[in-house]
Amino acid sequence: MRRTAIAPNAVIAILLLALIATVAIAGPWVAPYDPQAFFPMVRLQGPSAAHWLGTDEYGRDLLSRILNGAPETVLFGLFATVFGVGIGALIGVTAGVLGGWADNAIMRVLDGLLAVPDLLFTLLIVTVLGAGMGHAMLAVAIVFAPGMARIARSSVLSVRTRDYVRAAVARGESGAYVVMREVLPNALSPIIVESTIRVSFAIMIGATLGFLGLGAQPPSTEWGLMVSQGRQYMFSNPWCVAVPGISIALAALGFNLAGDALRDSLDPRGSRR
Amino acid sequence: MNVAAPDFDRSRKDAPPAPVLSILNYSLAYATERGPVDALKAIDLKIEKGETHGLVGESGSGKSSMAWSIMRYLPANAIEQAGAIRLAGEELLQCSQRDMADIRGQRISMVFQDPSTSLNPAMRLGDQVSEVLVAHRGLSRAEALEEAQAALARTGIARPADMLRRYPHEVSGGEKQRVVIATAFACAPQLIIFDEPTTALDVLTAHQILDLFNRLRDETQVSALYISHDLGLVSRVADTVSVLHKGTIVERGDIGEVFRSPRDAYTKRLIEAVPDPDRWIGADLPTETSPLLSLDEVGVRYTPVSFLDRWLGSDDGDENVFWGAKDVSLGIRKGELLGIVGESGSGKSTIAKVLSGLQDFTGALDFEGSRITARKQITRDYRRKVQIVFQHPDASLNPRQTVATILSRPLKLYGIVPRSGIAERIRQLLELVRLPADYANRLPHQLSGGEKQRVAIARAFAAEPDLVICDEITSALDVSVQATVAELLVKLQRETGAACIFITHDLNLIRQLAHRIAVMQRGRLVDLFDRADAMADDRHPYTKALLNAVPVLSSETSDSERLTP
Repeated sequence: MRRTAIAPNAVIAILLLALIATVAIAGPWVAPYDPQAFFPMVRLQGPSAAHWLGTDEYGRDLLSRILNGAPETVLFGLFATVFGVGIGALIGVTAGVLGGWADNAIMRVLDGLLAVPDLLFTLLIVTVLGAGMGHAMLAVAIVFAPGMARIARSSVLSVRTRDYVRAAVARGESGAYVVMREVLPNALSPIIVESTIRVSFAIMIGATLGFLGLGAQPPSTEWGLMVSQGRQYMFSNPWCVAVPGISIALAALGFNLAGDALRDSLDPRGSRR
Repeated sequence: MNVAAPDFDRSRKDAPPAPVLSILNYSLAYATERGPVDALKAIDLKIEKGETHGLVGESGSGKSSMAWSIMRYLPANAIEQAGAIRLAGEELLQCSQRDMADIRGQRISMVFQDPSTSLNPAMRLGDQVSEVLVAHRGLSRAEALEEAQAALARTGIARPADMLRRYPHEVSGGEKQRVVIATAFACAPQLIIFDEPTTALDVLTAHQILDLFNRLRDETQVSALYISHDLGLVSRVADTVSVLHKGTIVERGDIGEVFRSPRDAYTKRLIEAVPDPDRWIGADLPTETSPLLSLDEVGVRYTPVSFLDRWLGSDDGDENVFWGAKDVSLGIRKGELLGIVGESGSGKSTIAKVLSGLQDFTGALDFEGSRITARKQITRDYRRKVQIVFQHPDASLNPRQTVATILSRPLKLYGIVPRSGIAERIRQLLELVRLPADYANRLPHQLSGGEKQRVAIARAFAAEPDLVICDEITSALDVSVQATVAELLVKLQRETGAACIFITHDLNLIRQLAHRIAVMQRGRLVDLFDRADAMADDRHPYTKALLNAVPVLSSETSDSERLTP
């Protein structure tokens, strides 16, 4: 079997993802304090032995709040992407396989949706549906679908003309066999790569919505919401903003690097000189 | 780059002028994950003024690495271990990248395989030719364009002034390669490196490009390194030749001598593998002459019928419509091998697609007493009996399926053997195409090109077909592999009695295999003849032109020109 050496950026991606996963799973249980517990004596402090990442305006422990908010923030990104990719890939593969006027009709509608900027579209949907995590997740999924459909379709189209697919058609294989066994397995890798990168966008959008008050609602410790709450104390204690801000950036970076590393390892031609 | 240059500077004054290119004991390796891999080992090569040196080798032999070493344009993981590369006595290994920028284009230039990728699609051709003149000879733009026009005129382009204003996509492949050659000759370099300059071109165009090369060389007395995998072709342009095998030069010498009496075993094998039209290796001609499958005025229209025309029922004349194939009538006899030849775009692959049910068509196919007039009427029974093997073995095998899965598919689909017998049949099929039984568990990327093509052939024969369509199945393979694949096909034909349509542009090869040969040009069948009549006088002029254009490796003639039929 082919052995592939692991590139340095893949190592960073794996380490970051491992950190994110650990925090997202174990975070709430290992938090040193109750995230909602007030310590009025130590308001707006920088890092100390008792509070490793400092405290916010009510004296709540920032480390505990970050650990507690991790599942919400990261799972939001994951689920929103999974829904978005699911809907998008289904539409895209259908369009690519059907071809002809059906493909044209589907893609023109999606082009229209793609013309609206992502964040604006999300805000529109959330405004219509009402604020909240569930609605925000649905909104991100809907916004992601057209882009994913486009990628899935182009991937299917490029595989569809390969000779092994033609060979299967010439053999007289059924349409379902050709799509499921010959086309899809070979069309998946760009979809997987893109969705990994999209998780980072979803985390960013989720945090943005939290920041704007349209996503997670207090007393949640979602990271975007934490940035928004810390904003007015930014000058007396920059840690209130920096801690959740950097956490969001690291989570996004982890998925982004993982996407790049996946692309290199899934495409043998891309990694060969 | 710490290369210890050997001392060769003995008494410069009295010595004869240094050869244009001399390579001494040069070794090159590439650093990979698994340690350094040798690409070139102790290469010695010398090209005198006005000499054309052929460098022959199969893919992976290191011939392109050699070209890039001379151009000093190696990838970052290249390790130069030892030796010297000298251009007219000047050591290139010690030149800085800046010095090399002056040397490239001015003193050494290069012509690549594929003119459509070596020209910049966003620049007018005139700018691309004059660019080198401005950079290296300090001409003004207007002077350079004038010079470029003269350079194009020398390459036999009919209206050079027009050509200068065009973009690459507006001209043909042959014209593009002429422009590339004009650019290479523009600064009157000392050495030109040709890296398979005709491989991407059609037979007739390649022939013209070779003539052009020979003429320009005689006019300019330039030295050339001509890299190719095609021995027949090299024998027509080169004075001397080196044979490269796995990074080592195994044989060198005067071209006629090497081809007439090769000393090295590898050279012998390479020369034997070159198809010789007079050496018949095909199966015996079947006694039965009844047709198995016949095409009756088959046509394929690539220009879609517009809504308006369909509605009005009008026909917008033949000149506006592009036909991939038109009025092709042809019969294939049982057990016969029928060759279809033609240049790219002649419609030969279109016919293959029609026969394998991948392409809508007009006209009719007659098969086993039933008449098929549309693609939708093609039954699974027909599809079992007519199998196709594609050109690129890399593309025709699903990269995520093992060889066993690939071969089991036709067996299951057509119920050739009971499910319990599939593993055994796969073993037999692999044996049939001379592959080891344990290849069943391998994935396509673990096989070589020739092995993949054997798997594709095994898949076609697994269906126990009456007719196998081979669409250029040897043209993506190396010469020595080509010969074994062709022989394998003939062996299978003998054993199974299947008929075969062999589509190719290699006339020498097809004359070794086919009982009858059909010639296609611009979608039409222009000629159809028995193999023995290939040289007859009443052949179609296009057939004659094709036959004339292919180089035949002749050991008898030292000037390497083929004897006129």
